[in-house]
Amino acid sequence: MKILEKLKDLDRRIIYLLVFLSIIIPLIPGFDFLKFPVSASKETKAIFDQIENLKEGDAVHIDFAFTPTQKAELLPFFEAFYKHCLKKKVKVFIYYAASVNGMGLGKETVKNIMNMDEFSHLKAGVDYIHMDYIPIMANIQIFSMVSDYKGTFKKEGKIFEGVETLEDIDFILGITGSGWHQPFIDMQIRFHYKFAMAVTAVIGPELIPYYQTGQLTGLSNGLRGAAEYEKLVSEKYEVNYYGSATKGLSSLTLSHLVVFGFVLIGNIVYFIERKRGGK
Amino acid sequence: MDFNSIIDAIFINDFFTNWVPVIATLMIMSFLYRDNPLFKIGENIFIGIALGYMWTLLWDISVKPFFIMPLTDMFVEFHLSDLTIIFWFLLASTMLFRFNRKKAWVANYYFGFIFGYMAGMQIPIQVQNILMQSTSLMENVNKGSFYETSKWIVLVFGTFSALMYFFFSKPHKGILGKTARVGIVIMMIFFGAAFGSTVMGRVSLFIDRSILLVAHPFESMVSAGVIIVFLIVYFKFFHKEREFNDEGVL
Repeated sequence: MKILEKLKDLDRRIIYLLVFLSIIIPLIPGFDFLKFPVSASKETKAIFDQIENLKEGDAVHIDFAFTPTQKAELLPFFEAFYKHCLKKKVKVFIYYAASVNGMGLGKETVKNIMNMDEFSHLKAGVDYIHMDYIPIMANIQIFSMVSDYKGTFKKEGKIFEGVETLEDIDFILGITGSGWHQPFIDMQIRFHYKFAMAVTAVIGPELIPYYQTGQLTGLSNGLRGAAEYEKLVSEKYEVNYYGSATKGLSSLTLSHLVVFGFVLIGNIVYFIERKRGGK
Repeated sequence: MDFNSIIDAIFINDFFTNWVPVIATLMIMSFLYRDNPLFKIGENIFIGIALGYMWTLLWDISVKPFFIMPLTDMFVEFHLSDLTIIFWFLLASTMLFRFNRKKAWVANYYFGFIFGYMAGMQIPIQVQNILMQSTSLMENVNKGSFYETSKWIVLVFGTFSALMYFFFSKPHKGILGKTARVGIVIMMIFFGAAFGSTVMGRVSLFIDRSILLVAHPFESMVSAGVIIVFLIVYFKFFHKEREFNDEGVL
């Protein structure tokens, strides 16, 4: 029973090391055989299908409400979703309210995407617009505002043609790692807009009931949701939009197997010990 | 060369953008071995930069355009509606009375307004919200497949039994006790799912850092080597174990 004793007093740093190796090995070039297949969940597919059903020139509003600390889970989804919107030729309004720290990240990401050859012909103020920061708590009122904090867009751009109020927005996506979008969910009962969310895995389970009642029309959960969306867009448009989410999914699966293994071992040791104690 | 150009020359170059993220990541990760000065330095730098960045940004995008600028414009051209800015400013300033015990009640005006506003906005919405959550369960039980129907049954009876666990007016014996027991199981399954999702979230953060390390293999290996040498030297020659007395006090 020496092994049992050793397992019981296993140094936590060994667990860290094994988790570290399980994450880093699939990312190293040459270990591509450790790829696991991704299948899209119905929650993520619901977002994809709604964008697919939009017509050219329809308005999509993205509430970019996360900071660089949540970048790992949410930025890959934003990238895939934004590229999908541009492919569908819908008008994209990007807005920052909860994430003062995220503004720089969002702008940099959009700039990088707009520099891609296939999107370089699209123009700010016509095909997409950054509405920057407007400090309104229930930020569904943004379209009643005259301008952003710098007074730049002033609702005069071509993109605002036919988009006067919230009811003119065809689809709203909230990307967040907190409960910021609760007012969106609540107000949706009154204004009947289509509202989906991409969230960190921590708050994903709490939002499932809202998806089941239809208050959320789609839900992407963490890095896995982002990988699913990357796959959906890449397969539909036959382009390589696979990003860091797909890259990291094998690490995620492998590390979960390691954690699962340790939980199993811990429980086995616990039950054996209890049995021995009972004697 | 102006000040901004000098700052740009220091921070926007390959050396800075390649080495600093790798070193900072490894400094923070060194905590996994043990608490050490490198971790402390990394932690303090991170908090300092994040707070400093947020404060300057908030000043630029919130205080300046929404308070200072309208206030200065007021002296150029006055509109009656400008008075609202002063009203909000005075209302917000009442919060400062919290520092004085005798005059702390003044801040209640601010809280009173906020609670009143939020209650007025939220109560009708939340009532609708709860009704919508409840009415969505009032559907035809026969969903076409066993899986969908069983899901409905688990949802309804799971919610009911979980609520029964918090029903303390009667002792948890007999049917009530058994129902409450099922409620605990249901809640534990939810906590398990939430914990699993949390682990997934935390691992995702680590994956992001790992992608960075793999993208800069040379920098990562050199930095990791230097940090490991530092940790060995520090814990062998400089680190002193803190001594605790019987009550666990230093």
